[in-house]
Amino acid sequence: MADKNPEKGYVALLGWSLGAIDAAERFDRRYVVVAPDWAEPYCQEHGIPYVPWNFERLNDRSMEIAEKLKAMGVDAAIPLFEETVEWAGAINAVIQGNPRLHGQAILFRDKALMKRRAQLGGIRVGIFEEAHDRGDIIRFLKRVNQTLLKLDGDPNDPIHIKAFDKAGCLGHRVVRTADDIDAIPDDEFPVLMESHLDGWEFAVEAWIHNGKVQFLNISEYVTLGYSVFVPASPELEAWRPRVEQEIEKLIKTFDIENGFIHPEYFVTSDGTMYFGEVAYRPPGFKVFELLERAYGFNAYQGLIVCFDPKSTDEEVAAFFPEEVVDATGYAGCFGVYPRQRVVSDLAIPEETENHPYFESHELTAPLESKVTKRTAFGTHWGLVYFVGDDPGTMRDLLKRQEELDFYV
Amino acid sequence: MSDPTAAVPENAGGTDAAAAEVDRLGGMVDRALTRLEQTSAFAKLTARGPLLDISGRLLARPGGAAALYARAAQIEASGVFMGTDWDHPEILQPSLATGTLAHGDRPTVTLELLSELRLLAVAQRELFHPRLSSEQAQHFLSQLLALNLNRLFGPPGEAERGKEVITTATRHVVGFVADYIGYGEILARLSTEIERILAQRPIMVDDVKVMVTRIAACLHDPDISPGGVGLGAARLVSALFGPTAGCREDPGLDVYKDRLAVLDDSSLQQEARAFARAMHDTGLVSPYHPVFLRHSTALERGDLVGQALGLSSTGTEAFSCYASLVYSLIDTAITPDTTQAVYGLALLLERGLLFDPAIAPALWGHIGLKPSATVERTLAAAFGDRQPAATLLLAGTISVLGQPLGIGQGNNPTCQAARALSMWALAAPDYLLHLLTRAARDDDIVMVFEGGRLSSSTLAAGLAPTPPIDVDPVSVVLVPHLDRIYIEMGRLCAGRAGDPHAWVNSAMHGWWVGQDTALVVDLATGHLADSADRFVRLFHGLYHPLYNGNKPVTHPQPAGIAVTDSLGRFIGWHAISILRVGLGPQGDMRVFFFNPNYDGGQDWGHGVIVSTDGNGERFGESSLPFEQFAARLYLFHYDACEEGRSDAVPADTVEMVLAMVRATWAADKMPEPEA
Repeated sequence: MADKNPEKGYVALLGWSLGAIDAAERFDRRYVVVAPDWAEPYCQEHGIPYVPWNFERLNDRSMEIAEKLKAMGVDAAIPLFEETVEWAGAINAVIQGNPRLHGQAILFRDKALMKRRAQLGGIRVGIFEEAHDRGDIIRFLKRVNQTLLKLDGDPNDPIHIKAFDKAGCLGHRVVRTADDIDAIPDDEFPVLMESHLDGWEFAVEAWIHNGKVQFLNISEYVTLGYSVFVPASPELEAWRPRVEQEIEKLIKTFDIENGFIHPEYFVTSDGTMYFGEVAYRPPGFKVFELLERAYGFNAYQGLIVCFDPKSTDEEVAAFFPEEVVDATGYAGCFGVYPRQRVVSDLAIPEETENHPYFESHELTAPLESKVTKRTAFGTHWGLVYFVGDDPGTMRDLLKRQEELDFYV
Repeated sequence: MSDPTAAVPENAGGTDAAAAEVDRLGGMVDRALTRLEQTSAFAKLTARGPLLDISGRLLARPGGAAALYARAAQIEASGVFMGTDWDHPEILQPSLATGTLAHGDRPTVTLELLSELRLLAVAQRELFHPRLSSEQAQHFLSQLLALNLNRLFGPPGEAERGKEVITTATRHVVGFVADYIGYGEILARLSTEIERILAQRPIMVDDVKVMVTRIAACLHDPDISPGGVGLGAARLVSALFGPTAGCREDPGLDVYKDRLAVLDDSSLQQEARAFARAMHDTGLVSPYHPVFLRHSTALERGDLVGQALGLSSTGTEAFSCYASLVYSLIDTAITPDTTQAVYGLALLLERGLLFDPAIAPALWGHIGLKPSATVERTLAAAFGDRQPAATLLLAGTISVLGQPLGIGQGNNPTCQAARALSMWALAAPDYLLHLLTRAARDDDIVMVFEGGRLSSSTLAAGLAPTPPIDVDPVSVVLVPHLDRIYIEMGRLCAGRAGDPHAWVNSAMHGWWVGQDTALVVDLATGHLADSADRFVRLFHGLYHPLYNGNKPVTHPQPAGIAVTDSLGRFIGWHAISILRVGLGPQGDMRVFFFNPNYDGGQDWGHGVIVSTDGNGERFGESSLPFEQFAARLYLFHYDACEEGRSDAVPADTVEMVLAMVRATWAADKMPEPEA
């Protein structure tokens, strides 16, 4: 455990992430984990500072946790998961005496509100609408395709369906036909519908302190939902100046002072950048691990240093490396989905295992033969990590993994 | 060895490319080690994945084991073992490690292999471990190698795709460790281990035979040249594969049979004596032995049969009184597939069992017994169908009667049933034969409990979900019935105040089980009883010759033991029987008992090591000094009228026993202090 500096801020981590706790434990700031009570025995056994809290919908008791953290002297609450973003906003509103922070968090939680706010801020977004039933989706699909001047019988351009308040790819479906619409279960409504944008999709991670971007990473998706690597290839990095402008707009529009955002963008073939969505929490797909591998800094500690209102500009500047040039290589990962209908064993393909870029994997063998299914995006069985010097090789390698069987 | 590259030092034998690959992976391991070392203690368990993954691949490369061995200190320091059993190397068991290597998933096997390399560094005094001496490490590794000889010398097993990396890695590590420990040491260690098991004379010796076969393969492999394997290993191999001049070179059963036809009389007598010597020496019976016995029986050469069984005057007397019965037993039951029954037959005769008026007629009955279709199927499932079920069962019956203490429970939760079988084989063999007839013929046994008839065929399954198949034929047939009846008796006692054993044990086992029951656990709370002091005194007053008026134990008495692991931690309750109490060769008072576990030699922690050989034990007995036994005992039976001078037991002795109890199995069973 690192020595804690009482002059620096005291942070609360909302949600249970061992990686984040480990980072905080080894950092120079006091911290406390706020997590459901099932975490208590573990925290007691390992001496992890802990406050029990069950994150359900905000309710009458919500002030309790905010007051408690305030009384403890906590300076900032850091959300680790989508489900704790709103909580962090509410808590920070209380402990930092800034009621706007809660409203801001609600924008991050509701994808429809988020897009409206972005539109108001002059940020370019695709066509989107809320749907409350299947009829709404049919109408939207028709209208989008009419707009595209399609004739009856032409294959439809797809639309995207997303849950309002779930992280990343959870609940994400691509809809082309009426059959696709029928396959959506009732309990997924209401949903957000978006037109499909053909283009290059990528994500950005931005650490913000005192309203300024301190570190901006561009994560290059090779295939959405399958693979990502950092830093991005020179072709994508060429967009960095434009990306920086867009992020500045986001910071202004959403009025962000301290923290971390994780937006997604499209660049269409004509060079227009569209805003997809933004999250106020660490990204999935272990991008933080990839950043640590490529740059050597701990991205969770980066969160803490940015969220901490007591951090000085000098300290923040010294904490982060310089984007791209300080990276020692390209770090990527691939999310494995079983390709066969029935799988009984884990078998890392030889060409993967013997590739010089291959580093390690976190796949586990199935305990019994399993019939696989894949609904929506985002339920991969584990990640495979690669590190190497050449972004082209990395991209081809990650693409190639999609054709290999990791489960047989 | 089969893979000459496995133990070649790094960079010496492989190509430059291979060496570069080892260096590259080594660099990745270093990074993963550093990362893991920095990780907080509580997160290590989830953060060790990359290290295990990369290490597994490195170990599968020639030179990889050496590369990781060189990092043994960093591996230990990284905390990769934290939060797992491997963090306590002093409690690791070679047999469990062997199971892990064979069946574990890849990360677990890799962790096990890293632990082996670390232990090697401890054994070589290159790494200091606060909880493990280099001798202990050496001991562990020798046993591990003995158990994994097949990985050293045998061909690779059916390596499944996807497991190639880890099986190769395992072979490399085992080979690497073997190069340090030395092959001669391994074989010597293995034969010592086998001799320790055989000293308990188990009925089931299939595993032992597998190990002896492995040794035999090594002895004949010129590549191994195990200089000084020792006579022990050679003796075991010859007992199994060539115990006599006529079969010295393991010619095959048919050839040997032809040879017998032309041997002269003195040669036949030499053969007979050599068979007997090898058998009584080791407890192992060669498949050639039944060939010889059947040959002699066909000739009605009683003298050769008696010599081949190695009979003393008692056995010879029994044989000559019941010669036609013995011939019939040999003819029906003794085949090259049921070799161990030869040993059982010899001991049955030596016990003078045939002089019991009920036994000879009962055995005649068993010779003609036709097992039910169910029993036939069960026996075929357990032992194959090369011999008829009737033959397998009769052979098993002979073994059980000859070796009552050779019965084991196998890997089944049926210690009570195994104990009952052993007890009857010893004290009521006629009753055992009676039960066996019913079970084998009718698929049903009936016992009377407090006036009510319990019929096993109408009862639900007992503790064992499936019938045991890794035990002797008599157990295979009888244990499911006994198991059910035992559980049913317990069920009938549910709700009574007091321990059910008080009623069940005497009803189940026989009249000789004491009618009173002493228990040192408070049933309501599960805590150590307040009367623990009285319990210890009572045990002395009834069983200790200096306090019970020097009365010997006449019949095996069922008793309950709190079994502890090698650190003295409570594992579970276990059924044993007390056989006798007497002075050991060192002049200490010892309890000799029967433990239905296959291997009675167990380390129960805090210096309590159950002895099976060298402290006055007869074959199959376990023993402990009286006080140590008392400190693991939690239940026994007695008749109150037999109590001796319990009050005369010195308070020091009682307190010493209770201190051992409190420090081990009752550590978490202490009564709450009164408020």
